[in-house]
Amino acid sequence: MKRHITYLSKTLNANGYTKCLPLSRFISTQEAVERRNHIFSLEKKRQIEQVGRIEKIEVRYKGIPKDTTFIMNKDLSTPYDCTKHLGQWYMESSALAVLDGSVYWDMHRPLTESCTLELQHFKVSEPQQVNKAFWRTCSLVLGACATNAFKTSVPVILHSFPQPDIRSGSFIYDVDLPSLPDWQPTHQELVTLGAEYVKFIRQNHALERLEVSAALAQEMFVDNEHKTAQIPSIARTNGKVTVYRVGDHVDISKGPLISNTSQIGRASITSVHKLTGSSESGVKQLYRFQGVALPTGVVLNHFAFSILTDRAKKLNSARSPLGPDIFGKKEDDMEVQQSAAAKA
Amino acid sequence: MIFLEFRALSTLPERVEEPPQEEPKEVPQRRGPKSTNPILEHRHIYPEFLPDPNPKWRNSLREKMERADMLKRRQQIDIPEFYVGSILAVTIADPHAQGKTNKFVGICIERKGCGLRAEFTLRNVVDHQGLEVRYDLYDPTIDKIQVLRLEKRLDDKLFYLRDALPEYSTFPLDMDPEILPEGTPVPVNPLKVKLKPKPWLERWERQELKGIANIEQYLTTTNRLNRKLRQTPWEKFDLMKQYRKTIPMEEQSDIWSEVNNQLQQLQMARKKMARKRTFTAPKTQLG
Amino acid sequence: MNQADVSKLVSKLRIKVKAEHRNLRNPKGPEGRIDKLRKTVTGLIKFERIEVNYNRGDEARQYAERLISEAIRHGDCHTPTMKMADFWLLEKELVHKLFKVLVPRFENSNVSFTKMYKAPKPQYSRNLEKAVLELRGNPYPDLFTKQPNNRLWIQNVLLEAAKHDYRQSKYAEIAQNMAKNEEPTQVNSEAPKSEIIEDIKTQ
Repeated sequence: MKRHITYLSKTLNANGYTKCLPLSRFISTQEAVERRNHIFSLEKKRQIEQVGRIEKIEVRYKGIPKDTTFIMNKDLSTPYDCTKHLGQWYMESSALAVLDGSVYWDMHRPLTESCTLELQHFKVSEPQQVNKAFWRTCSLVLGACATNAFKTSVPVILHSFPQPDIRSGSFIYDVDLPSLPDWQPTHQELVTLGAEYVKFIRQNHALERLEVSAALAQEMFVDNEHKTAQIPSIARTNGKVTVYRVGDHVDISKGPLISNTSQIGRASITSVHKLTGSSESGVKQLYRFQGVALPTGVVLNHFAFSILTDRAKKLNSARSPLGPDIFGKKEDDMEVQQSAAAKA
Repeated sequence: MIFLEFRALSTLPERVEEPPQEEPKEVPQRRGPKSTNPILEHRHIYPEFLPDPNPKWRNSLREKMERADMLKRRQQIDIPEFYVGSILAVTIADPHAQGKTNKFVGICIERKGCGLRAEFTLRNVVDHQGLEVRYDLYDPTIDKIQVLRLEKRLDDKLFYLRDALPEYSTFPLDMDPEILPEGTPVPVNPLKVKLKPKPWLERWERQELKGIANIEQYLTTTNRLNRKLRQTPWEKFDLMKQYRKTIPMEEQSDIWSEVNNQLQQLQMARKKMARKRTFTAPKTQLG
Repeated sequence: MNQADVSKLVSKLRIKVKAEHRNLRNPKGPEGRIDKLRKTVTGLIKFERIEVNYNRGDEARQYAERLISEAIRHGDCHTPTMKMADFWLLEKELVHKLFKVLVPRFENSNVSFTKMYKAPKPQYSRNLEKAVLELRGNPYPDLFTKQPNNRLWIQNVLLEAAKHDYRQSKYAEIAQNMAKNEEPTQVNSEAPKSEIIEDIKTQ
């Protein structure tokens, strides 16, 4: 069945029929998730097989407990594999790797050449990049949670999430719910969403990264009209799209992200706001899901956390993907592929 | 030295002819800020001004109020400086005969208690009968406290006088006060008493008393063995035991600087009185 | 009520002293207790940091403090203090250390001479509390690393932003109230009001 669909979409793509025959009508959200997951697995397998003969690289680790050198496999070993040689604490707490002192690298992204390696957790002295990766991950997981949370009768079409802005007080995901034109979530529904979110992060999914071609990305997100529209502009620079998989959820993000969802500690989904768009964009309205989370191990008393959640209930002032007139900036708000990928 | 020995043999130590001794030797200056504070010397004369060292019974407000009350009482009657071993005459209002007073003379064998509850015990032998009277120092019925002979003995408590020969605690009720010249340190009477044979009230041999001359002659081998077994030679090194028994210097200097002014005024008043008394004393003798 | 002992003057200890001493359990009674404490005090002066059971450590700490304070008060020419040091320090070279090293170290100190921390104990042990006892100014690294609170940690960034938000809303409220109050008053009070609003905007 899956192969059949893949084949079908491929032929349709090749013939340029994508626009006139939207596939989303034919498969449910759950099926689309499975299909995307399947494509991701196939592509990952293909990329690993492509490596061929294994070459060795030298990774010089700097930091606690002592500076060491690891001999790793080129294009196969990840910084996470290096931490396995250091100890469990490093495996669990490292959120982000820094190569050669400047390039921020995902923990699950294969190393491509000899380099120096430093590991960063949430309490390093300069945690800006780790914080950003954390916030980005929270948004991405929020998308996964939103996809899972609704009944199958409610189609959920993810739109996008903006650049992480921690000072805004909440991470967000803009979601299109076409069958719910006027939804005001009750308190109970928000609590349920939060519970789903926590349930999802407690499953301790690793965040896997993959770079795929624009065509394959189109095929992955063929059921999602918003993502399909975004992919060409994302792939404009080098024809590649970075996708991440967490659990069975696959999403586009510029990265880098943290290592594992277990590193997200206290979290709550605080509000869902309706964004109405202007007439010229195709989408009429979106729902902006907002939440706030802290890394594992950060102890904050309930009062301080209640201040944070109260603040996160207000509409986040990040640019709306729909209306340039609302917050007054241009429309290319989705994450444009960026410098981190340029290294690859 | 000869002079001291001579006094040891006499029951009436002489004093007035004694030339005033030179100033006590200057203590070599130690490094650090801890030089001796002169007002701390009050602690020997007025030990009851210091509170109970047991922290259970401490209460700074009560202590302050008690000190104020004690000073008030001291302005009413003259409570002189005395020590265990001094001979005192105490006149007290008679509770059974209105307007009349009782006078008792004796040797002070114990001082205890702090604050307004300070007390002392006098002992004398009258008509071959040992008598001990316990007085509260700040009892309002006390009319007069007179020191007949100001001296110290070798021990801090003289309870062993109860088991000593009666002549060691016999003092005539009409004793004349003996006056020490000003500025002399308080003399220590190195008198050693002789005990009566057993039975005794306490096991004196275990108490390491310096003022008993003939204790060995009454002891059995078992007594000596027990004394050896019960010795606690480590106790004099038990720094915390000493600490828990006293009031630390810093606290003491707070207390003494609080009462120092009034105490000095009282001392000045007493000196004036003493000068008058020396002028009047010959007349009474003549009379 | 007891009278305080006035024959000796002691310096006040800068640590908390319990009203009663602890009988450290042992077959020899008080003498054995003092012997135990002598060993601990000697070890403390020698190694400057030791791990002991809490009760014993706390008792030994008081004795060590007293010994050092006596040494500071009387110096090394005072025979009773010398005897005391000789009794408490089982290794005689430590007597020199006490008077030549520790006294100069603590002479001008305003705080206690020792420090005591509760130490962790193994999970399935008897209920014995452990403690680390150390002299101040010892050559070892600190037991507690003082980790400064970093402004850039994510929780601090979030709280800082929330505080900023709250302030902004308060300023706006104050400005509004002032504007309301000053409407009916004279024209010449206009100038300061607009200045304040300008201030708020620039922030």
